[in-house]
Amino acid sequence: MGKYRPGRRALTGATIVAAASLGLAACSSSGSDDSPSDGASAAGGSDVELRLAWWGSDSRHSATQEVIDAFEEANSGITVVGEFSDWGGYWDKLATATAGGNAPDVIQMDQLYLASYAEREVLSNLADYSALDMSHLGDSVLGMGQVDGAQYAMPISTTSFTLLVNQDVLDELGLTLPDTDAWTWDELGEFASSVTEASSGDVVGIGPMNNEYSLQLWARQHGEALFTDGNVSISEDGLASYFQLALDWAQSGAGAPADQYSEQAALTLDQSDFATGKQAMSFTQSTQIAAYTTASNGANLVPVKIPTEDANATPYAYLKPGMYWSLSSQSKHPEEAAQLIDFLVNDPAATSIIGTERGLPANPDTVEQLSGNLSPEETKAVEYTETLDPILGDAPEIVPNGASDTDPLIQRYLLEVMFEQSSPADAAASFISELQSSIDAA
Amino acid sequence: MSLKELNALAANRSARRRSGGKADTRDNRAALGFLSPWMLGIVGITLGPLLYSLYLSFTNYNLLQSPSWVGLDNYERMFGDERLHQALKVTFTYVIVSVPLQLAVALGLALALDRGMRGLAFYRSAFYLPSLLGGSVAIAVLWRLVFGASGLFNVILGLIGIESSQSWISNPDTALWTIILLHVWTFGSPMVIFLAGLRQIPRAYYEAAATDGANVWWRFRHITMPLLTPIVFFNVVLAIINSFSNFTQAYVVSGGTGGPADSTLFYTLYLYQEGFGNFRMGYAAAMAWLLVLIIGAVTAINFWLSKRWVHYDD
Amino acid sequence: MTDLATRSQNVSATPVPGAAVTPRGRSGWSRAKSVLRHSAMLAVVGITLYPILWMIASSFRPDGQIFGTASIIPEQWDVSNYVDGWNALGEPFGVYLMNSAIIVLGSIIGNLVSCSMAAYAFARLRFRFQGPAFALMLVTIMVPIHAVIVPQYILFSKLGLVNSFIPLILPKLLATDAFFIFLMVQFIRGLPRELDEAARIDGAGHFRTFFQILLPLMKPALATTAIFTFIWTWNDFFSQLVYLTDPAKYTVPVALRSFIDAQSGSSYGALFAMSVVSIVPLILAFAFGQKYLVRGIATTGGK
Repeated sequence: MGKYRPGRRALTGATIVAAASLGLAACSSSGSDDSPSDGASAAGGSDVELRLAWWGSDSRHSATQEVIDAFEEANSGITVVGEFSDWGGYWDKLATATAGGNAPDVIQMDQLYLASYAEREVLSNLADYSALDMSHLGDSVLGMGQVDGAQYAMPISTTSFTLLVNQDVLDELGLTLPDTDAWTWDELGEFASSVTEASSGDVVGIGPMNNEYSLQLWARQHGEALFTDGNVSISEDGLASYFQLALDWAQSGAGAPADQYSEQAALTLDQSDFATGKQAMSFTQSTQIAAYTTASNGANLVPVKIPTEDANATPYAYLKPGMYWSLSSQSKHPEEAAQLIDFLVNDPAATSIIGTERGLPANPDTVEQLSGNLSPEETKAVEYTETLDPILGDAPEIVPNGASDTDPLIQRYLLEVMFEQSSPADAAASFISELQSSIDAA
Repeated sequence: MSLKELNALAANRSARRRSGGKADTRDNRAALGFLSPWMLGIVGITLGPLLYSLYLSFTNYNLLQSPSWVGLDNYERMFGDERLHQALKVTFTYVIVSVPLQLAVALGLALALDRGMRGLAFYRSAFYLPSLLGGSVAIAVLWRLVFGASGLFNVILGLIGIESSQSWISNPDTALWTIILLHVWTFGSPMVIFLAGLRQIPRAYYEAAATDGANVWWRFRHITMPLLTPIVFFNVVLAIINSFSNFTQAYVVSGGTGGPADSTLFYTLYLYQEGFGNFRMGYAAAMAWLLVLIIGAVTAINFWLSKRWVHYDD
Repeated sequence: MTDLATRSQNVSATPVPGAAVTPRGRSGWSRAKSVLRHSAMLAVVGITLYPILWMIASSFRPDGQIFGTASIIPEQWDVSNYVDGWNALGEPFGVYLMNSAIIVLGSIIGNLVSCSMAAYAFARLRFRFQGPAFALMLVTIMVPIHAVIVPQYILFSKLGLVNSFIPLILPKLLATDAFFIFLMVQFIRGLPRELDEAARIDGAGHFRTFFQILLPLMKPALATTAIFTFIWTWNDFFSQLVYLTDPAKYTVPVALRSFIDAQSGSSYGALFAMSVVSIVPLILAFAFGQKYLVRGIATTGGK
């Protein structure tokens, strides 16, 4: 740092002039502070300004802004500035701001990044703040917000994994979905092929599983876990079978061929073949039913259970926190920030504004409050999640520090397999060693 | 006055000026004045972060915690990093193919437009449109509509009798070529610079040549090209630098993944993934400096070669 | 200009064999050539114009109907995307347009003044450390932004300047955009040196030579700089994303990204509508600026 001290001095003169002439002197409250991490004391009675950051699209921005207004009204003396970005930009911005000691006070967090941030000591343990009531949440859900036993994140919502079926497409083709209550992967593959055949290729049956959630479930169905004690613990065989399934579907015609799938792999859900009616079934999370319904112009989408090898095996399903609220350790007003988090997840006024915008609330009281006002899509999601009860197991370990790029990694190796550049076994071996070395390096 | 005579005159003058010691001191002070904003910027804004990133390249830095010194570890890791090698392969292919292609198109159209045809302003604006779009999502969508499995490109191939149903954009063997085409398609920027350069050529030269009965080709060969060489040189140098650090197009088309199967993993895209996605900013900084070495070497060669073909009037 | 054009037609017309040299034949041939040239140009226009037209058409379509079609003819003229998009984010979209405009304006002024001054020094003066300084300037173009943005952010954060336009404008005032310095160096070196030599003989100092002789002749280069600065700053996403935290200070590219969410639903209709709105200033800037591109020595009368 000392390396550019002379430059800094020279610059200060210039910036003073520029700042004065532009009249745009910075109004960020923490920017000029040199020791951001030791400001754990409460505010001196005067006005407190908090920054609240989240990712999402426009509907989330306006709803959250309304909640902020309600919070400010209920807590005079605290102002909250909301900051929003898209998913990709959000993480770049958060990392840069944290590096500059200028992180927002309250941070919307994702399971992929939680350990990466928590283990690097830039989040605060929420259990230290009495203003935040966590008593409504079950241990399993709360556990997915813990790293090394400390509560670094407050789950906002939970979501479940599902196979979403476009009933309109099936009706048009005159096909009937088999009994999905205890179906096998083979049955799903065959049914998917029948869709492709019946439409003579215009509609394909299914797309591959391609993310961390699905890989967790695949491992659990086979008596394994993706991560154990902070390390990769899925076996090469287990992972190879996951890749093999995608390859089989692409080759048998149950799913789209590699290049057609690859075209949409990096796109948003609006542009996917499933949303545009060119694919009959898709793996997704139950909270995305509403988004897919809009994107597919109001098609009738039905969530069903994913298949298993053996319906009587250990309960493999689990509810995953859709997102969390975290508290930055750089915050100078952690008490007030904890108060804000409490308001966001527990206050009935906030609940009635935000509804299910961030997914089905993890807080059961909140769900109760909302039950009368759910949209048809949300009702579908709630009812589907209830059917999972018998197969619901304990939550798995969260994604460890260093593995936040697991999703792109799965996607990359999946495509290598589908394009037959590597065999499933080779891809599995490289995947495990690359992910593990990424964890070791963190 | 012929071109040669002009040059001889200018060369004489420069030589005279360079030999005078008194002129030197005056230039020094004037230079200080003209360069003061630039020097303030270099010292105050550019150099600090630049040197700091050089320091970071010798550290393990995850953005969230203070960097820790690891010596040459990051540079050593490069030798065994297969994705880095892939990124270098992708980037070099891209530079070698797309730079000459794009500049040729840009120069050709600039020359055509400079001849003052009807609708000039319209064509110029329309040609520039792709460059206006920047990293817009519309580009990613469009590219899929053109080079996707049921895209326009396959339709056109069908018209000339080649049946194809493959997706060019998502096939690892062809994806990079669609991005090269995307780059060529944004020929607007170099074209505008060429046009500006063409406009700066004094008409007197052409008039003189016309009275001597020179034909189009002679005028292009002996007036346009020599006088345009500083601008051609600029475009070549900058196109190479920009292509080596191409980020936006690859990011937009592949959604930031460099896929399919790393076939469009551009160097800076990988750098970005490592720095921000994997929190390995120390390694990303080391990659940045390797890139500076590569581009610097290529640019130095360019400058050295330029003595043979670039014509300056000083 | 007309002289040259007629001349070129004569030259290419003479080698045509046979009796084609009658006045009538010649005009027929030139008309054919003109048609040919215009159709070639129009073909290129088709390729370049298509995405904009598609985007405009999409901005009138409801969200569920955008990605299924490649057609550039809107089925209906429904402006609800424009109304929704304008008001969808925290502030009316006009606020983002205004913020972008302020940054663009500051950047243009900064680049025009500071880069042309630096370029004059590099192109026309002889001074100590000129070579190393020039090399250093070029190196600054070569470092990828993702490697220096974090140190730069730390610098501005320590100065308390993040969440303001200063980190985005100040560098331009201090000529950190070496691209334009190099561009103008090349232009100045292409200008006949006898011009400033003559001014020198008349007793003009460097500042007068620069302002009165060279700057007016550099109009094409200055116009290029202004246009490019406009477009690049208007479209620059990353640094604006990183430095601006208060939504009231967001700029157009940052706001546009906020319509998309990779995880749930995105408002593509609104996104395209606002993209169309935000491209209008760019097109206007180019249409207006290109007048100056064509005014070089050719029309300012310098010989």
